[in-house]
Amino acid sequence: MAKTFFIDTSRCTACRGCQVACKEWQGFEANYTKQLGWGSHQNPQDLNPLNFKLVRFNEFKDKDRVIWNFFPDQCRHCTEPPCKLAADGEVKGAVVVDKATGAVIFTEKTKKISKEGFLMMKEYCPYNIPRRNEKSGIINKCDMCLERVEKDLLPMCVKTCPTGAMNFGDRDKMLALAYERLAIVKKEFPDAALLDVDSVRVVYLITHKRDMYHNLAMLDENSKTGALA
Amino acid sequence: MKVTRRELLKVAGAGAGALALGGLGVSYLVTESYAKDLKIKGAKEVRSICPFCAVSCRFIAHVKGGKVVSTEGDPGYPISEGALCAKGATMNSMVNSTHRVLKPMYRAPFSENWEEKSWSWMIEKLARKIKDTRDKTFTVKNAEGQVVNRLETMFHMGSSQMSNEEASIVVQAQRALGLVYMDHQARI
Amino acid sequence: MTNSWIDIKNTDCCLIIGSNAAEHHPICFKWVLKAKEERGAKIIHVDPKFSRTSARSDFHVPLRSGTDIAFMGGMIKYVLDKELYFKEYVNDYTNASYIVNPKFSFNNGVFSGYNPQTKIYDKSSWQFEKDEKGAVKRDPSLKNPNCVFQLLKKHYSRYDLSKVSSITGVSTENLVKVYEAYAATGKRDKAGTILYALGWTQHTVGVQNIRTSGIIQLLLGNAGVAGGGVNALRGEPNVQGTTDHAILYNILPGYLPLPRANAQTLADYNKATTPKTVLAESINWWGNRPKYMVSFLKAYFGKNATKENDFGYAWLGKGDVPKSERDGDYSFLYCYEKMMKGEMKGGSIWAHNPCQSIPNSNNIRKALTNLEFMYSAEIHHNETTDFWHSPGIDPKKVKTEVFLFPSCHRLEKEGSISSSQRMIGWHYQAAKPSGKSKAMGQIMIEIMNEVIDLYKKEGGVFKEPIVNLNWYKKYDADVVAKRISGWFTGGPNKGKQLSGFADFKDDGTTASLMWLAAGSVTEEENRLKRTSLAQTPLQKKVGIFPNYAWTWPMNRWILYNRASVDKNGQPWDPSRTIIRWDGAKWEGDVADGGQPPLSKEGGKNPFIMLPDGLGQLYGTGLVDGPFPEHYEPTETPVTNHGFSGQLRNPCAKIVPGDKIAPAGDPKYPIVLTTYSLTEHWCGGSETRMVPALLEAEPQLYVEMSHELAKEKGIKNGDPVILESIRGEVEAVAMVTVRIVPFKVQGKTVHLVGMPFAFGWTKPGIGDATNRLTLYTGDPNTSIPEYKACQVNIRKADKVTELSYEEIKVEEHHG
Repeated sequence: MAKTFFIDTSRCTACRGCQVACKEWQGFEANYTKQLGWGSHQNPQDLNPLNFKLVRFNEFKDKDRVIWNFFPDQCRHCTEPPCKLAADGEVKGAVVVDKATGAVIFTEKTKKISKEGFLMMKEYCPYNIPRRNEKSGIINKCDMCLERVEKDLLPMCVKTCPTGAMNFGDRDKMLALAYERLAIVKKEFPDAALLDVDSVRVVYLITHKRDMYHNLAMLDENSKTGALA
Repeated sequence: MKVTRRELLKVAGAGAGALALGGLGVSYLVTESYAKDLKIKGAKEVRSICPFCAVSCRFIAHVKGGKVVSTEGDPGYPISEGALCAKGATMNSMVNSTHRVLKPMYRAPFSENWEEKSWSWMIEKLARKIKDTRDKTFTVKNAEGQVVNRLETMFHMGSSQMSNEEASIVVQAQRALGLVYMDHQARI
Repeated sequence: MTNSWIDIKNTDCCLIIGSNAAEHHPICFKWVLKAKEERGAKIIHVDPKFSRTSARSDFHVPLRSGTDIAFMGGMIKYVLDKELYFKEYVNDYTNASYIVNPKFSFNNGVFSGYNPQTKIYDKSSWQFEKDEKGAVKRDPSLKNPNCVFQLLKKHYSRYDLSKVSSITGVSTENLVKVYEAYAATGKRDKAGTILYALGWTQHTVGVQNIRTSGIIQLLLGNAGVAGGGVNALRGEPNVQGTTDHAILYNILPGYLPLPRANAQTLADYNKATTPKTVLAESINWWGNRPKYMVSFLKAYFGKNATKENDFGYAWLGKGDVPKSERDGDYSFLYCYEKMMKGEMKGGSIWAHNPCQSIPNSNNIRKALTNLEFMYSAEIHHNETTDFWHSPGIDPKKVKTEVFLFPSCHRLEKEGSISSSQRMIGWHYQAAKPSGKSKAMGQIMIEIMNEVIDLYKKEGGVFKEPIVNLNWYKKYDADVVAKRISGWFTGGPNKGKQLSGFADFKDDGTTASLMWLAAGSVTEEENRLKRTSLAQTPLQKKVGIFPNYAWTWPMNRWILYNRASVDKNGQPWDPSRTIIRWDGAKWEGDVADGGQPPLSKEGGKNPFIMLPDGLGQLYGTGLVDGPFPEHYEPTETPVTNHGFSGQLRNPCAKIVPGDKIAPAGDPKYPIVLTTYSLTEHWCGGSETRMVPALLEAEPQLYVEMSHELAKEKGIKNGDPVILESIRGEVEAVAMVTVRIVPFKVQGKTVHLVGMPFAFGWTKPGIGDATNRLTLYTGDPNTSIPEYKACQVNIRKADKVTELSYEEIKVEEHHG
């Protein structure tokens, strides 16, 4: 059965276990990062070929109340992935969809995708996910830890999450959980919502208005960039 | 025809995706399976405890050919149930770090460099220093003339990174020497 | 922790104060969220800074660092004024009714008996009134003006909302919001827990901060119950275990006091350290002290410890009797002071980085240059192993010889670790030690074997404790774990393992390296290695796993659990039962002593570690007062606090040579508080070497409000320089809504916060924050005041400690 992530940001403490565990499992080296000129806990600053997962931080003040939103960003594994649409135009098999899980996979063949083709993939992706490793030429992003999932292991980010923010399983179960949590969370946060449920396999539950998260958190044309800190 | 990513997904999200995509003349290539080999396949599992923060999360080290190849949370620990934080998730990098001190090192007085030495050289030279210092400066009586039999010129600043068994050994040795200046990260 | 990590899920209100639990104990937060989601518990965070903990709490209340006693004192007053305390519990299980010596007084911020010359209290006037049999006089009506309850009321009568608000910077609305929510747990069927950490201990009133939670939990009936307790979230693992095993100056393993010069014989020691009670209903557990001390000596000196030689008691070094603030204090505060003066010859610093993590670290770095030799066991080079070429230190002028032993990683050795909830678990060896590294236990054995050989061959000064040591040939964690748990050294079971506390004798027939772990390794099994999740239904409900590893003492998960039941042994709240008397025995958790509940024949009081078994609303044990009183931090932005004329803790340990800015010094108007962060550990010497962690938190930053940034012309991401009277530090400005200016006595007081994980051995990331902090210590524990000092801040024109280049990290070799 097709799989789905349910990411409940109302439970996220931004411990970044997911971000780091993903990197460790993938065996990625680190990016060079710094605080000078940046001044934020969000590091690295953006997704990149060595970070499939990035916890984004957005803070606001509403009268006396501080709101600090955490958003563990990653590929949404769209049910009908536009990145594939873009890639298929150039190199068949560069982007494939795993039959059993629905995982959207970037293969070695992405090396052959031209600069223009890559830009088109980025442009087509509603969430600005694809990144190219300039050294290897490979275009990459979250692969759902497919080799783990095939062996009935959880994706590393989900396995690592302490609070139940990251969930993974059969799509119907995850959607049921998502709606169940939404009903509960709405009592405390009336603006709570599930993002783009029907078109993605990574469903986020957010607690505040959409413009209080980073600008590509969802499909809303009118969303604004949240202040970073 | 230029289709923006947002428009594309909006159409898809509205449930007309297949039609829309079909209309663009694209077909899906669905593979049977696309999974890499599992790097922990066939690895020996060894259980350990995270060295950071006293929730003391358990983790499993996957060992192949005597080398740790991966680490992840131990779902059998009822407190963490398999979870780890950012620090706990890095045990593999930590144990395999190339920055580690791997040889006994000695820095001579007024030297600008470390020198590599053998274990026996280090232990013999140090034990001699400890004994000579102790014998020369041992305090039998305090200012009030009470017998105290202690070594006030040496100290041990120790570690909460030790196991209980190691801590027990260290304290027993230092108390045997007569040390009183003994402390560790309990105050930090 | 009196309770367990899982037990947090049983609470109705979780007050997190002096802790940033979500960032520093991230995994525990699942249990906090469970309490919120499953019980509707209120989660309250009281802390100077809005953090990841605050983000997941129902509300956050910003508090000026160092004013926790004012805040909690206000809560005590609120609970007493509105009579929200749990009366039955207070009457039966606390010393509320005890009558105090009428000579006890409290005037203008100072308790009776204070000697300003020695900075020590003569505690005779603090003692209780006793009758002719030696029992404390009581007034069960709680009306006697000298009874504890009335004294408590009187003491906190000054802590009214407006005064507390004015000094803490917390609005009166926020005060009432917290007090109301927390005081609601004073009911029979409600429980509230207090989670604290270094945010409470690292003040010159650290222990008294914690006492406030003891008082509140006793008043509300929250001590000893599921979902309650006074929970110290301990830091480093194994800090619980290494405290139990006493890598500390003032105790021997198992919390046996260090022998002092006035106790020359074992009999003197036992007399001085063994409490007595005349109450038949008190277990008075420390009455067993002589058994534990003799068993400890037997474990240390083996067959060489005999009744005839006082079991080798004379071979232990004796401390001086504390007659002034510094007499007999051998903590690191005075160790480094002595080193600064050139009076220390040498010593060891193991898996510890004081040049980074101890206050006024410029001084510490210099102090080490006065040593003849130093030996360390480390996994990485750090600011301490390499102090001799610290910035500003010329190695050609440093005489110190340094021996650096390569220590192996935890994954390369086995042994046991004690978690914050006192659970001792086993870790196994996954790989051989890398390179030539060895376990720290093995390294110490090799050094000591050589020393023992030298003394045996050559003789030497006072060689007895060395040559008579019951020592090891090589490190074997299983062997040591057995000795820790204890064995019979005589009698019919000679050679066999002890089964628990009941086996201990004071005649030399039993031995244990740390009595609290007795029963952890039995004849049958090493219980530290257990991993079964088997539970009874009752245990399952409250989250006790008695078959997983082993928890001291005697596998008890919740300390003082006899206070969770009424006098008849029935739980105050049956839905949260941890123990229950079934008429013949206790079921559930391992009860604190097997004796029947209080109302039955032979029944006992619940607080078994105290002489009379009653919770102490008023206690004579601390050196700086029987009640917590608000004093300002040693460095403070105010010149008076309005509670009394005594500005600072009169007993605080001020170490000669430390520079202290005067109160209200306009040169240093900003409060600095320091903390750790999720992605790095303490001084950071291990985590900075992990690529993914340095990537996530790459450089030293200072969090500050938008208001302060505007005042100082600082923008987010700017390099800045912080300055205290002790030193300067470069950092990157992180301008945030999460820090707010405080209104204190009608004026604006700014606060900034910094981590201390960044050091010069990793170039470009910044250097020790502790070059700013001050060295003054709490009088009970000598823990320095890391959490509050005064600084100023300015934009930096250029930086040398921070690199504009992106920071290179180690290659990944995973």
